[in-house]
Amino acid sequence: MQNKNNPLSPHLQIYKWQISSLLSITHRIVGVINILAITLICIWVLSLLLGESNYEITQVFLKSFFGKFIIVFLCWTFSFHILNEIRHLVWDMGYGFDLKVTKITGVLAFVGSFVFTILFYLIGKNIF
Amino acid sequence: MSQFSLPQNSKILKGKHYKDETGSNNIKKVNVYRWDPSKSENPRIDTFEVDMNECGPKVLDILFKIKNEIDPSLTFRRSCAHGVCGSCAMNIDGVNTLSCIKSHLDIKGELNVYPLPHLKVVKDLVGDLTTLYKQYESVEPWLKTKVGEKTTQEIKQSQEDREKLDGYYECILCACCSTACPSYWWNGDKYLGPAVLLQAYRWINDSRDEDKKERLKKVADELKLYRCHTIMNCTNSCPKGLNPAKAIGSIKKMLATS
Repeated sequence: MQNKNNPLSPHLQIYKWQISSLLSITHRIVGVINILAITLICIWVLSLLLGESNYEITQVFLKSFFGKFIIVFLCWTFSFHILNEIRHLVWDMGYGFDLKVTKITGVLAFVGSFVFTILFYLIGKNIF
Repeated sequence: MSQFSLPQNSKILKGKHYKDETGSNNIKKVNVYRWDPSKSENPRIDTFEVDMNECGPKVLDILFKIKNEIDPSLTFRRSCAHGVCGSCAMNIDGVNTLSCIKSHLDIKGELNVYPLPHLKVVKDLVGDLTTLYKQYESVEPWLKTKVGEKTTQEIKQSQEDREKLDGYYECILCACCSTACPSYWWNGDKYLGPAVLLQAYRWINDSRDEDKKERLKKVADELKLYRCHTIMNCTNSCPKGLNPAKAIGSIKKMLATS
């Protein structure tokens, strides 16, 4: 190319989202959130070592609406990550690359993650 | 770190609006990316009102009509016009495809035409594919044999072995897949991209080729191969209906099992 001044053609700005690419970026974001969540859980467990009063702080926080929201949200992020990771494992074994199949498994993973979240919630509420 | 926004000199401005002069009742608004290397201006989007009663069904027909009747300076690559050569690959309605086999009837409302994404623009809809061709050269896309040096006879291939190349030999290197791949956008200088990896697999998978091990070794690289995260934009955009994601998956599997 003769010079550096030639513009770069637009990419993210114009490219239409596909189910597959949306799930892929969600998988990444959710993965980062999960790592943060695991760290938080570790800190929480550590705080138990420091005695009862620390336990109560987390107790109060987790029972608040915001706390509950975070817990339910984390149930979803973990569900989604696990289900979508299964797709990746199957791909690594060399199956499921067909366009139709990836669309179906993608939607299944997405819908499944919400089903899992609801299940976790119900189990947590001792419904069963 | 990848730059997700466009650099300052690539920000797109609003361009000219060419109003319809035929008074037709069947008008389609076509927005086309324009950039003229002879002027030091930012790229712009020109809007053309095209009379669809007097126009063929393909997006390439529209581009030709604009070039012939409205603005002769419009620049784009094309050759065969039948989906065989891969010259007219561009981003139409947000997805990379060949303009010569894309019907404008599939697109509701205004038609947006851009060059292939994340390339240096040469002019208007023409992107610079030099890097991709260099990468293609790096996988040595030709048959390598030891038998061929000694004998003048043809190297035979069974029907089953030949069938293993189906879905791979048809690739016309239009670059729709590579320029649709976000991984290739961010790491295009190191990651080979779906088009080149599909070609690499085509030669790895050829029963007559005797350099399979070396080929695999060469491609087995954190950046060259494993930047593929199965985003599947490649397979979604391939105008020939091929599956580059599967080819890359097959290379990964071969490396894991060999």
